[in-house]
Amino acid sequence: MATGTSPDVRPRPTTVPAAHPRRRRRSVLHPALWLPTVVAVLLVGTAWTVIAAEQPYILPTLSEVGTTLVDDPGLFVRNAWSTLQIALIGVAWGAGLAFVLALLMSEIPILRRAIMPLAVVLNVTPVIALAPALVVAFGFGMTPKVIVTAIITFFPVLINVTTGLRSVPPPVLHVFSTLHASRFEVLLRLRVPSSLPYTLAALRVVLPLSIVGAVVAEFVAAGSSSGLGTMIRNAASNAQLPHVYAAVACLAAMGVLMLAFTATVERRLLFWHESQQRTP
Amino acid sequence: MSDDRIEVRGLTKTYEGGDPARPALDRVDLDVPRRHFVSLIGPSGCGKSTLLRVLAGLERPDSGHVAVFGSTPERMCAAKAVGLVPQTPALLPWLNVRRNVVLPSRVNRRAGNAAGDPDELLSMVGLEDVARKYPHQLSGGMQQRVAIARAFGIRPDVLLMDEPFSALDEFTREALQLHLLRLWEHMSTTVVFVTHSVREAVTLSDRIVVMSARPGRVHEVLPVDLPRPRGSGVTADPRLHRVEDRVRASLQVAWESGAAPDDLVPL
Ligand SMILES: Nc1ncnc2c1ncn2[C@@H]1O[C@H](COP(=O)(O)OP(=O)(O)OP(=O)(O)O)[C@@H](O)[C@H]1O
Ligand SMILES: [Mg+2]
Repeated sequence: MATGTSPDVRPRPTTVPAAHPRRRRRSVLHPALWLPTVVAVLLVGTAWTVIAAEQPYILPTLSEVGTTLVDDPGLFVRNAWSTLQIALIGVAWGAGLAFVLALLMSEIPILRRAIMPLAVVLNVTPVIALAPALVVAFGFGMTPKVIVTAIITFFPVLINVTTGLRSVPPPVLHVFSTLHASRFEVLLRLRVPSSLPYTLAALRVVLPLSIVGAVVAEFVAAGSSSGLGTMIRNAASNAQLPHVYAAVACLAAMGVLMLAFTATVERRLLFWHESQQRTP
Repeated sequence: MSDDRIEVRGLTKTYEGGDPARPALDRVDLDVPRRHFVSLIGPSGCGKSTLLRVLAGLERPDSGHVAVFGSTPERMCAAKAVGLVPQTPALLPWLNVRRNVVLPSRVNRRAGNAAGDPDELLSMVGLEDVARKYPHQLSGGMQQRVAIARAFGIRPDVLLMDEPFSALDEFTREALQLHLLRLWEHMSTTVVFVTHSVREAVTLSDRIVVMSARPGRVHEVLPVDLPRPRGSGVTADPRLHRVEDRVRASLQVAWESGAAPDDLVPL
């Protein structure tokens, strides 16, 4: 404040932020929030138990799955870490390249017209069908798996960021125009922040997708020796059903963690956006 | 060409896909002397926003010539001498109020306009208490005041305002008009102000340009000879009502001459 102390002494109308924690606490306890989940878990759990008791070759019992996890947690942690690495490196490449390309395309229209059709073709190609070929081309290391993951995560980011960069309201552009802001300033101060909600929405889709990409790549990469996908494939061919479902549970947990992570990032970075405003 | 006025001569503008027989602006002449406050009023679609956008260098005229203090709109913008207040506040939602106000001094630094003190600007529009808040935490009227403070921040030679108060209730609107007059007197800027409100035009302006639609033309230019500075008492002045009546009569004629046949069908 420039003048005096009076503005700091006066009680400020800070009702808006203060209301948040209180409302959130109440909503966590509200039955409408947890009841459906609890009921669904109970129902599926019961059905599972019944089927597993009748048909042990279709489903292992839940306790078998649990025991498998507890018996050798290190095995699962190691393989989960291996898969996670592929997923994250793949998504970093895929999303990173898509973001950079979207920036270039927003500034160079010819590039957009040249690249968009290719990107669309890439997107409608089932990349999984490419995976064996990539393994032949790039050997048995991480590279082919990372490439499959990167390709799968590339397109949603490209589309969303491209849309986001164009989502600036015309009056704001007019204000920047009358200030004679350079294209770079418009990009940096206007387009990139405006695209943030779109970028993060893409991340929300693409992070879980990256796990799918990594697992599928592990399925098809014949010489692969680690990762949850490899584990599932080997366990399934040996009829070790508890291992299969334990690995699937690990994958689900990884997906949940990734979603929680993006939700936190969104809440932090997009506090100003209407998607984060609470509707009572 | 003169250095101390905005001068528009024979300005014609047809939008792509528009009817060339009915341009958005048809041979429009306009004079705004330096430090004057001029309002544009007229029926919807008569080209007020288009004229403002041409003055802001956002739209190229088909023919005619536009000079702003002896320079072109583009050169005025390059020198950061033009402030724009659009109809919506157009604030950046991820910046707090204070950062929104200093934003114009952060871009196009080459023009290097001496930035006004943001805290002083905010206190002049009565917003010193919300400097750290974000736009979504403010009412529409407060957002509009931030937009005005932002536009004054570069101490522009020309301030272009497109119906800045149209979304506000009458009392907020009158309060903001007084804020605006105070800032304008303080900064001695030249203002071109688009409005639909006769009362607002008369309260604020030195001169009112009444426009007619289809095609967009200047119908009549009316002077407002009310004393300055004008405070909240101005609405009680009987001279104000006389000017208001003249503007209304002129608008009526302008509206009838330009209305499409459909508009005249009685309900
Ligand atoms: N971007 C555009 N493309 C094509 N035609 C346009 C465009 N903007 C305005 N027009 C047309 O030009 C004419 C003048 O529009 P303008 O927005 O300048 O009117 P206005 O006087 O500001 O109206 P209002 O009071 O409703 O804001 C209208 O007939 C409109 O349809
Ligand atoms: Mg308009």
